[in-house]
Amino acid sequence: MPLFGKSQKSPAEVVKALKEAVSALERGDKKAEKAQEDVSKNLVLMKNMLYGTSDAEPQTDIMVAQLAQELYNSNLLLLLIQNLNRIDFEGKKDVAQVFNNILRRQIGTRSPTVEYICTKPDILFTLMRGYEQQEIALNCGTMLRECARYEALAKIMLYSDDFFNFFRYVEVSTFDIASDAFSTFKELLTRHKMLCAEFLELNYDKVFSHYQRLLNSENYVTRRQSLKLLGELLLDRHNFTVMTRYISNPDNLKLMMNMLKEKSRNIQFEAFHVFKVFVANPNKPKPILEILLRNQDKLVEFLTRFHTDRSEDEQFNDEKAYLIKQIKELKPLPDH
Amino acid sequence: MGSERAEEHIVLAYSDEEVLDDEEGGSRIFDDLEPASWINDEDTDVPIFHRVDSDQIIYEAKKKRCKMIGKYVMGDLLGEGSYGKVKEVLDSETLCRRAVKILKKRKLRRIPNGEQNVQREITLLKKLRHRNVIGLLDVLVNDEKEKMYLVMEFCVGGLQDMLESTPQKRFPLWQAHGYFCQLMDGLQYLHSQRIIHKDIKPGNLLLTLSGILKISDLGVAEALDFFAEDDTCFTGQGSPAFQPPEIANGHEKFLGFKVDIWSSGVTLYNITTGLYPFEGDNIFRLFENIAKGEYTIPDEIENPLRDLLHGMLQKDAVKRFTLQQIRQHPWFWRKPPQTLEQVPVPPLRGDELHNMTVLPYLMDYHYVEDPTSVQPQYYTEHERNAWAEGQNPERYGFEWQEPVNNIRSKEGSPKKYPDEMGYGSPDTHQTEESGESTSDSSKRKSKRKTTSCISVKKFPPCKQS
Repeated sequence: MPLFGKSQKSPAEVVKALKEAVSALERGDKKAEKAQEDVSKNLVLMKNMLYGTSDAEPQTDIMVAQLAQELYNSNLLLLLIQNLNRIDFEGKKDVAQVFNNILRRQIGTRSPTVEYICTKPDILFTLMRGYEQQEIALNCGTMLRECARYEALAKIMLYSDDFFNFFRYVEVSTFDIASDAFSTFKELLTRHKMLCAEFLELNYDKVFSHYQRLLNSENYVTRRQSLKLLGELLLDRHNFTVMTRYISNPDNLKLMMNMLKEKSRNIQFEAFHVFKVFVANPNKPKPILEILLRNQDKLVEFLTRFHTDRSEDEQFNDEKAYLIKQIKELKPLPDH
Repeated sequence: MGSERAEEHIVLAYSDEEVLDDEEGGSRIFDDLEPASWINDEDTDVPIFHRVDSDQIIYEAKKKRCKMIGKYVMGDLLGEGSYGKVKEVLDSETLCRRAVKILKKRKLRRIPNGEQNVQREITLLKKLRHRNVIGLLDVLVNDEKEKMYLVMEFCVGGLQDMLESTPQKRFPLWQAHGYFCQLMDGLQYLHSQRIIHKDIKPGNLLLTLSGILKISDLGVAEALDFFAEDDTCFTGQGSPAFQPPEIANGHEKFLGFKVDIWSSGVTLYNITTGLYPFEGDNIFRLFENIAKGEYTIPDEIENPLRDLLHGMLQKDAVKRFTLQQIRQHPWFWRKPPQTLEQVPVPPLRGDELHNMTVLPYLMDYHYVEDPTSVQPQYYTEHERNAWAEGQNPERYGFEWQEPVNNIRSKEGSPKKYPDEMGYGSPDTHQTEESGESTSDSSKRKSKRKTTSCISVKKFPPCKQS
């Protein structure tokens, strides 16, 4: 043991000490204050092992491997996340940093932490529910997005019931939390193209009935963001099947036509990019065609005067001209 | 649905063409404000004294050396392609470093499908936005000069130049892996936007200062129809060595996305081995070899990379890996250890740090040593030409100490600009640089008087022996 300075704790000791401290914190007995201190102290130790400090390099691979192994065996990650709200401000950030570092760890082509979390999906569900607690929401958000980078973890999250809570989280009144939740939500729906496309296809009805509520939200930001994301999803070729299904439903067309007339120009503009797909569809189902035909003249007139000041945006003008032409040329289906 | 504003006035619907014309009229034309009479005066030696409004004198004087195109301050040449020059610029509003591709219509016409390809690239790039796809930020047109300026994200170099700067023409595996992952990210985005690049190769993969890879040159790319059932394509125009067997065989139609997978496979092969999987003395031999689909991977390439290459270079497009398969491949997931040293982006004219080349122009403009020391207030085109052709570098030094209110610096004969003369020959600068100690070019640059610094770039072209 060195005479001066702190002795070097082994990974096992740090994990053990941290686990005891967090448990004490959880019990909330009279030693809570001391526990809080111990939690912070050990979290810093653990963080320094992984990231190093200004004077010390990160620990060797063997030490990090030991630390990871201890973390898996002790289930400390879950415990930390479950008690995240009890940990002090800096400690919360340290948890997120430790978690994200351990998550990225690779041995050859394997990601052991990802494999570990797959066997302990509660970690993910607890993180997702973190959005319900204001004081930990953003810390959970950073960890969730790190998890979402891994297809296996993204899949667990997408296919969990908790996923549908996101439709609520993105609308909470605290703006930064709502935005953070939205970026995680978007990440889950767009990151792994094939996985997302399959998820949307399999859960089409449930997802889009929830999505409809976002598009009708009282909250302007929610409406605008969700409409923009809808556009991105539908225009992505990976979601071809979902897109064809979406543009066959007359209710969706009605919604977009109403959004074209919203007060906000931004929403009008985003709605245009979804609306155009309905019109451009070479195989319009009868109900869609009927709505368009019923409003043929009005639509032509409306579009002609739609965002005329966007003269710089060539693509928009081309598309607008194309839509006007298409709508003008619409013919009713011959009666059978 | 109805519009509340319907009664106000009803504008007749435009036909396609009308809207397009309207657009054209609105296209921004930025360049120097030049009276028309100055345009074709390149070869006249008439002394030039023009009557100019006082407000215009101020305008001209303000930008005397820093040539501006629209809001962009011009810097040095970054590279030259068949279409024209690429120069560094500074966006004077946002202070962002940018690159501008200067296209001359005259040159474009000489290239088969030249104008068409440029137009296609502009249309495609305008609607794309991704970290790994080159961003087109602005398009300026000068109809009189028949020039077009494409303002793009600033990149310091391409993978091809980097490869060529190394003895073995390849990257360490970990570096290649980093680029490949970014290439796949960008490609996935392009494919999600229904775009088939068709010309993936190291020469079209650029790097920003922070090492972010940008897929560029969408000149031969194809956008699939929005409602197309699959990715069938009919034409291929890419670089021969990177073409898949189905194109080498001259198939009438083929799967587009798989073309990009193949050429990405050739690219990966190339940047990891320094070789090409298929070669040939001429294009026919080359296509013959590609069509056979037989190739060998050097022994030093081990699994899982070997397996990935085989998957991407499958002769049968249907069996060839999909992007999804590549992304799930062990080699994709594994970050190879950083054992060998990174291959850097080759220095630009001796500057390894790739300092902003616009800066000296701005320095010269703002901190010019002694504006009153030399030079007549006005001078003639004839004199200018004489300087441009002169052999005495000192004269160029003078040239850069023009009086503040000189109005002639903006006139329109780019060829005669001494600064532009200098651009054409990066070699010159290297020769000059190499004479000195090359230890710390950036420091030296900043210590040097701004005027002489500029004059380095003004040397007339001269070939190394």
